Amino acid sequence: MTLEVIPVARKRAYPPRMSAFTQPFWEGLHTGRWQSTCCQACGKFTFPPKPVCPHCWSDRMEWKDLSPRGTLYSWTRIHAAPKVFMDEAPYAVCVVDLDVGLRIASRLVEKPGVEFKPGIPVELLVLQYEDGPLFAARPA
Amino acid sequence: MSTRVAIIGTSAIPVGRHQTRSDEPLQVMEQEIMTRLVVDAVRDAGVDRQDIESLVFTVPRPYTLQKYFHTFLVSHLRLACTGNVMEVMGNGMTGALAFDQACNEILLGRAKVALALGINMEAATPSAEHAMSSMRTTGDVDFQTSGGFIPISWYAMDAMRYMHDHGATREQFAAVAVKNRHHASLNPLAQYRKPITLQEVLEQRPIVEPLGLYDVPGRSDGAACLVLASEEVARSLGKPYVLVRGRGFSHDGSHQINEIPNDMTELIAAKRASATAYEQAGITAEQIDIAEFYAPCTIVEILVSEAVGFFGRGRGAPAAAEGETKLGGRIPISTSGGLTSRGHPAYVTSLYNLVEMTDQLCGRAGERQVPDARLGLATGELGNYNAALVHVLEAQR
Repeated sequence: MTLEVIPVARKRAYPPRMSAFTQPFWEGLHTGRWQSTCCQACGKFTFPPKPVCPHCWSDRMEWKDLSPRGTLYSWTRIHAAPKVFMDEAPYAVCVVDLDVGLRIASRLVEKPGVEFKPGIPVELLVLQYEDGPLFAARPA
Repeated sequence: MSTRVAIIGTSAIPVGRHQTRSDEPLQVMEQEIMTRLVVDAVRDAGVDRQDIESLVFTVPRPYTLQKYFHTFLVSHLRLACTGNVMEVMGNGMTGALAFDQACNEILLGRAKVALALGINMEAATPSAEHAMSSMRTTGDVDFQTSGGFIPISWYAMDAMRYMHDHGATREQFAAVAVKNRHHASLNPLAQYRKPITLQEVLEQRPIVEPLGLYDVPGRSDGAACLVLASEEVARSLGKPYVLVRGRGFSHDGSHQINEIPNDMTELIAAKRASATAYEQAGITAEQIDIAEFYAPCTIVEILVSEAVGFFGRGRGAPAAAEGETKLGGRIPISTSGGLTSRGHPAYVTSLYNLVEMTDQLCGRAGERQVPDARLGLATGELGNYNAALVHVLEAQR
């Protein structure tokens, strides 16, 4: 299942760096693929993707698709933004518990008519900026 | 008997705006402030300069032009040392770590007298510009900072979740800001001293929802110096001192959020570190008379008050609103005014907290003195309390 891709007519304010290792994540995200590394030894996902499993220290990591659905654990709207984010402020960010049992943090996108509240279901999506993608959550 | 560590002297400049903009013709120089502070603190302690064998500095902000400030300052005071002379860095925990390392110098027998000191200059640097650096101090710079997170956004999410889980209100958070401003009004070292009302706190513009301007710290410069000594030296001086009775450190193994979903507002590291410190001191949380927390936002003071065992889960906010943590309450917290009103020169914030502890436990806190304060608790932290460093202190009068 691929994520909804929403075009954004600007460049990313603070673009993430990419390594040879994280390249599959960012290039996959560009096409709507939502994935991370899963440990072949202990079976646990980790996010952000890592070459060594933080749980059992095995380096037998493989890319696997992640569930795009989760629950909003918490959120805030940032009004006092760093210089590069100032023209986007105020903007919301959040902590999401994915259905697979993984906690992540991301930008939180408005859905008309839905109020942000801990506990509401959310889905991941791709914000496709002119220079590359970022992942974000939005009320489902 | 094994060695124990005491705080025997302190000095600090009032927290506020001291840094000069780089284009101003006359610059405020860090070494001019620090040399005076060392002389003041050592005079307050009543020891000789020859007794100082180790100095542990907090790392300066990147805006401090003079690099390796620690060894530079030692030359200004011509202190020849056989214990370590070093700078430590631990993000928000920096001040607490400097103190803890200075304790170690004494416990290792490298010094009978050691200084924990530092200066944090940043307030003339515009907030949006400073945030370009501070946004890289929490979270993952590629996977989270790219989304726009800033350090206090994590605390704001604590607040939002805590309200959801425990039915706390913004009014209860605001009560912490009002209380700390009152404490600051009695503290000559505090940055913001004009009393404020609950209504005024609630009416401030939002910064990171649900927290408004008075729920979060302002921008601060500060500098402080603590003189530490072996208990033997402290006793020989024939005046009140503060004994370090327990130390506890805990890192929960995560960075901002635990990727295995947990109760984020439980602050497990603070819980564990304080348990260790209580055990070492042979006391329980109920015996603490006074506390100074590293709590950048109102919500954090509430969460730490629960984590260190002063209140049950969810009771911290109503307890603060009911006045249990103000001067005269059951357990006064942040009698200095805390980070929101005393001020928050981040790398030396914990040094200021320990200055307040020393003033209180030595019975020299003036109008904000907690009568008969005997046992005190100080916390330092980094991240979203992913790590905590806790000290239990005891008055010796």
